[in-house]
Amino acid sequence: MSIEHHVVALGQGPPVVLIHGLLVGSVAQWYFTLAPALAPDHRVVCYDLRGHGRSARAPSGYDLGTLALDLASVVRDQGLSAPVDLVGHSYGGLIALTYALQHPGAVGRLVLVDVPLPPGGHDWLIEAVEGGVEGLLQALPGPVRQALSGGGRRARRTMARLGFLIGQSSLIADVLAQEPLSDEALARLPNPTLCLVGEASRCVPAMAHLAGLLPSARLQPVPGGHFVPTSEPDALQRHVVEFLSG
Amino acid sequence: MTRAEILDALTQIVSEILADDLEGDLHLTMETSFSHDLELESIELVALAEAVQARYGAHVDFVAWLSELQLDQIIELTVGDVVDYVLRASSGAPG
Repeated sequence: MSIEHHVVALGQGPPVVLIHGLLVGSVAQWYFTLAPALAPDHRVVCYDLRGHGRSARAPSGYDLGTLALDLASVVRDQGLSAPVDLVGHSYGGLIALTYALQHPGAVGRLVLVDVPLPPGGHDWLIEAVEGGVEGLLQALPGPVRQALSGGGRRARRTMARLGFLIGQSSLIADVLAQEPLSDEALARLPNPTLCLVGEASRCVPAMAHLAGLLPSARLQPVPGGHFVPTSEPDALQRHVVEFLSG
Repeated sequence: MTRAEILDALTQIVSEILADDLEGDLHLTMETSFSHDLELESIELVALAEAVQARYGAHVDFVAWLSELQLDQIIELTVGDVVDYVLRASSGAPG
């Protein structure tokens, strides 16, 4: 079922959609990092996934098929004309790949940022399953974790959102039940693709696999771990702007 | 445009963002921190930036200015920082 998405758009030019990851992701991770760097030459569209940020708290629909349909509705509602470039972090990269497989010709270039394989091998998901919300928070970058500590207004709101996603929505069950993307289909995906991977991330093997599988992909390591958009915004900006402007 | 006028505009913008959590009138000073004092979420900082850009868009590129800050600088951002930036940018001086 279609839901209301919170969308933020900047700039004018060829369209690029930025897709965040599950649980702790939102448009904020792009808005203060990559989006303004792309805005001088692109129409940059960021949206909160269902259940995240300011989008509707959907109780279900966290499988890649539904999330790719959500992306299609954002592309349609924003009036973006093909080809649309896609940048996806973590699970957002899997949404981008799913959409590209389902819509041949509609997608231009792809940027995959620290994408987990299999889909349930997700850093944050493992933390959430093993340690609940507290376990998840322990895995966050320092400044973000500090901002959430202390039990104030922001911490309460974030905990409530994470509590909903982990405890009251089908997110974890959907991700654990997610069928992997077909290697055979991925090996035929023609889109030029930049694979950015955090050198210390659990996603290194997944990103090496994807970069080897996709016919027009290049692997680019960056310092740090999984949360590249907030821990390494400068490297992210440099590599993505160069790739999408080339 | 004066510092007091920009402070008034920010007070109105932040009041709308806090809406349900606000008891009585909001009083901002130049030292008020968006993160420490107001406890805005990052997603609410986006709403703040959108509102500032919409209000002063003809003069400022608030989003580009924010993007030059490090994450910890954004967390430390005060009302005075934003007032000063809007004033500086709208007077034509380099941001």
